[in-house]
Amino acid sequence: MFSRTMMQPGCAAKLAAAATLVFMVALFFQMMRTLQTYRWRRYFFVALGFLFPVGFIWQLFALRGSMSIPVERMLSGDTPFCFLAIPMMILPAAIARTVIFPGSILPTASNPHAIAAMVALWFAATLVLGKGWCSYGCFFGGIEEGFAAIPKKPRIRRIDPRWRWMPWAVLAAIVLLSAATLEPVYCMWLCPFKAVTEYPAVRSFETAVQMGIFITLFLGLVVALPLLTKKRTQCSFLCPFGAFQSIFNKTGAFDIRIDQSQCKPCLLCEKACPTLSITPEAVRAGKPLLSCMKCGACVDACVRDAAVWHIKGTDVGASSERARLMQLYSAWAFAVMFGGSIIAATLEKLFGLMV
Amino acid sequence: MPLTGLMTEALLLGLSSGPVCLASCTPVLVPVLAAEQKSPRGTGALLAQFLGGRLAGYLAFACLAWLLGLSLQLQPRGHALVYGLADLGLAIFLAAYALAMRTRPAAACGQPCPAARARLFAQRYRSFASVILGFVSGLTLCPPFVAAGVRAAESGGLGHSLLFFLWFFFGTSIWFAPSVGLGMLRRFAAVGVVARLTLFLLAGYYAYLALIVLGRVVLHG
Repeated sequence: MFSRTMMQPGCAAKLAAAATLVFMVALFFQMMRTLQTYRWRRYFFVALGFLFPVGFIWQLFALRGSMSIPVERMLSGDTPFCFLAIPMMILPAAIARTVIFPGSILPTASNPHAIAAMVALWFAATLVLGKGWCSYGCFFGGIEEGFAAIPKKPRIRRIDPRWRWMPWAVLAAIVLLSAATLEPVYCMWLCPFKAVTEYPAVRSFETAVQMGIFITLFLGLVVALPLLTKKRTQCSFLCPFGAFQSIFNKTGAFDIRIDQSQCKPCLLCEKACPTLSITPEAVRAGKPLLSCMKCGACVDACVRDAAVWHIKGTDVGASSERARLMQLYSAWAFAVMFGGSIIAATLEKLFGLMV
Repeated sequence: MPLTGLMTEALLLGLSSGPVCLASCTPVLVPVLAAEQKSPRGTGALLAQFLGGRLAGYLAFACLAWLLGLSLQLQPRGHALVYGLADLGLAIFLAAYALAMRTRPAAACGQPCPAARARLFAQRYRSFASVILGFVSGLTLCPPFVAAGVRAAESGGLGHSLLFFLWFFFGTSIWFAPSVGLGMLRRFAAVGVVARLTLFLLAGYYAYLALIVLGRVVLHG
């Protein structure tokens, strides 16, 4: 009977949409009921992280029968656009008035993932969420967050704080090299997520090295280290887009503060933070570092309600629940529209398999 | 061609292709200026050293262009060899610079031990590093530089070739002036740490490029 129902035209799509709706509404309901954000957001984020590659690879096979993209398809602008390329595009666009990503500005039949749509979507979301994009919009972060959630306790506890600066160094290096070479250097050499999305067809020693780097970085930073540290290590130690996105934490309306009058300090927030954005110095200063991605882990972990959501320009701790709700409404609305549609599209494909 | 015409052409070529020259040199220049964390005036002095080194690189290349005529552009092997060696030089000097920046001053013990000598060497290298890096970046074959090389090779004599590169250098150097503004970032201590890490990353990138290019030359000729 299930198969017969599924065989009706559009049924898989309706079922996927309904399942996604129930999933997202249930999570939001739990956020309201328990007054906790991080745990429930994580269910959504991990689902997005693991379902996005499935749907994306599915689409690649449907379009071109392979995960690898040959150079000639790149040259014809068939590479799906990814937001990670945005920081690299700015200088070449200013200097050479060219878009260095080998994709298409507007959607085409062979490449529906156009540059213009993604840039517009990213910009709108970033203005409101700041680095909250990395907690609600990034379709890669959920993979490592999923792996980080598996162990009960971290095996590696002490991490040299200087590693925190690495994403900024990677950002500086790739922005400068992209301007010099007019190529998206990060996508070509360092992106760990090429291993689970698409990669240049391995036809030479150079492309074999590229593939080796992608797989090594993926296994090391997205799988192994999150399992050992319970942190989002790729976001913390490599992702240049995350560093770039941190700048927009200055423009967003919401942030997290640590109320000095309530803080002991027990540093539970430091342990909970998945991106090493809270240090003893940051606690003393009353706010996390610029790299805070507003996931809410510190707020949920704080037993004295010292870590609070905050609207810029208001008193710290005066209306933290109102600040949480306002941040959550905008973030969750974006998550439903962007991430929800990705989840629904992949579920539709998976439900279609059941027929 | 009369000298005035040659100089004007070189200057205009430098001015028009300056942004591309700047883009080619920024991966080396920006981290070096940012890592030192000097005042805008000190950064300006560093920039002048870098540009001086770059001018020396240009003039050395001008001699090479004149000696080899157009053959450098026409023979892929020669082109790859210069490109590979320049990348290898950049990788070594960038990594050495990043290491030298981490080395503490050599004054402490006064005894002639290997560690003290290494520190002294690091200190000396650090004070000349911007000149050396400027020289090696001057040898890197960016597209405007190759265009200037071709034109200089056709200019008729070594003197003309050198003069052409000198005026080409003046034209491009104007575009480098705004990088003095990096001196304003010195109040952020993190900028120095990030710049040093960037130097290591860039050294790795250039080393890999050199390996690929020189490997091809060795294997395929």
